[in-house]
Amino acid sequence: MNKSEAILKAINLSKRFGGLTAVDDISFEVAPLGVTSIIGPNGAGKSTLFNLLSGTFKPDSGSVFLKDQDLTRMNPEERLFAGMARSFQITNLFFDLSVIDNLRIASQVLEPKQYLYLPLSNSSMALARADELLVEFGLLDSRNQLAGALSHGQQRRLEIAVTLATKPKLLLLDEPTQGMSQGDTQETAELIQQLGSKITVLLIEHDVDLVMDLSKAVIVMAQGKKLAEGSPQDVRSNPLVQTAYFGEETA
Amino acid sequence: MLNPQARAIRLIEWLLLISALILFAVGTLLGDTFFLRLATEALIFGGLAMSVDLLLGIVGLLSLGQALYFGFGAYLSALILKEISPSFSLAISIVILCSALLGWIASFIALRSKGVYFALITFGLAQVAAKVVYNTRSLGASDGMMGVPILSIWTPFGSLDAANPGTFFLITLLTIGALYAILKYFLTTPMGSLWHAIRSNEDRLAYVGYKSKAPKQVAFVLATVVAAVSGALYPMLRGFVSPELMFFSVSGNAVVTVVLGGVGTLIGPIMGSVLLTSFKSVIGTWTSHHHIVIGLIFVIIVISAPKGLAGLLTEHFRKGASDE
Repeated sequence: MNKSEAILKAINLSKRFGGLTAVDDISFEVAPLGVTSIIGPNGAGKSTLFNLLSGTFKPDSGSVFLKDQDLTRMNPEERLFAGMARSFQITNLFFDLSVIDNLRIASQVLEPKQYLYLPLSNSSMALARADELLVEFGLLDSRNQLAGALSHGQQRRLEIAVTLATKPKLLLLDEPTQGMSQGDTQETAELIQQLGSKITVLLIEHDVDLVMDLSKAVIVMAQGKKLAEGSPQDVRSNPLVQTAYFGEETA
Repeated sequence: MLNPQARAIRLIEWLLLISALILFAVGTLLGDTFFLRLATEALIFGGLAMSVDLLLGIVGLLSLGQALYFGFGAYLSALILKEISPSFSLAISIVILCSALLGWIASFIALRSKGVYFALITFGLAQVAAKVVYNTRSLGASDGMMGVPILSIWTPFGSLDAANPGTFFLITLLTIGALYAILKYFLTTPMGSLWHAIRSNEDRLAYVGYKSKAPKQVAFVLATVVAAVSGALYPMLRGFVSPELMFFSVSGNAVVTVVLGGVGTLIGPIMGSVLLTSFKSVIGTWTSHHHIVIGLIFVIIVISAPKGLAGLLTEHFRKGASDE
């Protein structure tokens, strides 16, 4: 991969919590478009790595670049403006607000600042964007329901829709199918595939089969370190990965 | 069609407005002073409760020291009326400007923390301010300030006589109504949505591109101004101010009023204030232990209607809607 081609670059990222090194000197690059996945057993440090990429935590060392822009010191809201958005493993919405309000608030940030103090009807761009997402994610029937009253599958869909409100270049998805039924998982997988044709998706996922189907590239983590990376086939046949991760699953 | 809560709010708005106008008409006709002044006081403390509700019910911040800003408005207004000129518009304008500045400064201290710590900081700030006022001789110390002159209110049709209880009741109704309208306007803007979002899930806000600090600061300053303007009306009604206005009993009473009327409805607290003030007065004529009776009523209401009186009405409309 040509260096300047990568949309996301993580360079020597490390994060320690007390005596535990959750992320240990990890470097990787993500090429534009398509789905790239990070897999690894529980406690491998995937979520911490995600939190470093999205700005929830600041790394102890190393840096994060989006294209040529250094994001390392930026807050989550600044990273959003740079073109990076994320979802959460545990559904994280404005639960007491309606579905449309969740989407509108997420879209609102693109409007000029003074619109904050004008009646809502002025924010036509945000309203249009919210309605667009409502249709795209099949939530039209739940438009005025509270986000907290949706089914788990609908909430996971809304979570992704909210992250797309600002049309990010790079989307970080943290276990989007967590706790979903078989049918919902399949639907969401298709959705992620479609997203990958328009923007770059970086995915953390437990479901290895799902990842192998969706991804053009896979990064394997174990105990805070990068174990392997490459195409799904390369990774699957990598003996290191076989022992560390797939274990008896493939045996 | 409006949702059940919006319908409950609309109903309370009309109920309050119509009863206010009836009270004004009947009171003026019969030459009443007592009930008009009682209703004026209810509206004034309703304004304070409304400012608590903006923070608590809309943004999710429990202020236990809102009496500080109420008392600030009351003292500043008394000072202006006594020392400069007994002009309504002068007093209100200066109170708005100064309380906005005070709220802005206080927000930097209070908003450093969240949850119970926010409650404790607001409580502490108010206690400190109350003690300072209590011990400041030039502000009348523990006696407060008396002899605030009767107001003259300039209008295009000539000067109004605020000594007339009916006139001052209407002025208070208009002032508190204007504060309510301003807060309601904010709730129709994206800023209002951000407040709701903060109450719902503050940490999420950063990932949709907002810092939560600025919207909280806007709400805090607005709440300060609403409390201070309500307080500014107090010496106009009573002719005096005292340090008790800043005490915790006033802050705590405002929180009770909000819970009674319905958290997060803004108009519920006004109704709560009307009811509490009337209870106090009516029960106070029967027994000097009226706090016991009011306490019991409060316990019963909170158990049977945890979302307050506005919540009861909302529930009523929701049932009505599902029956249709």
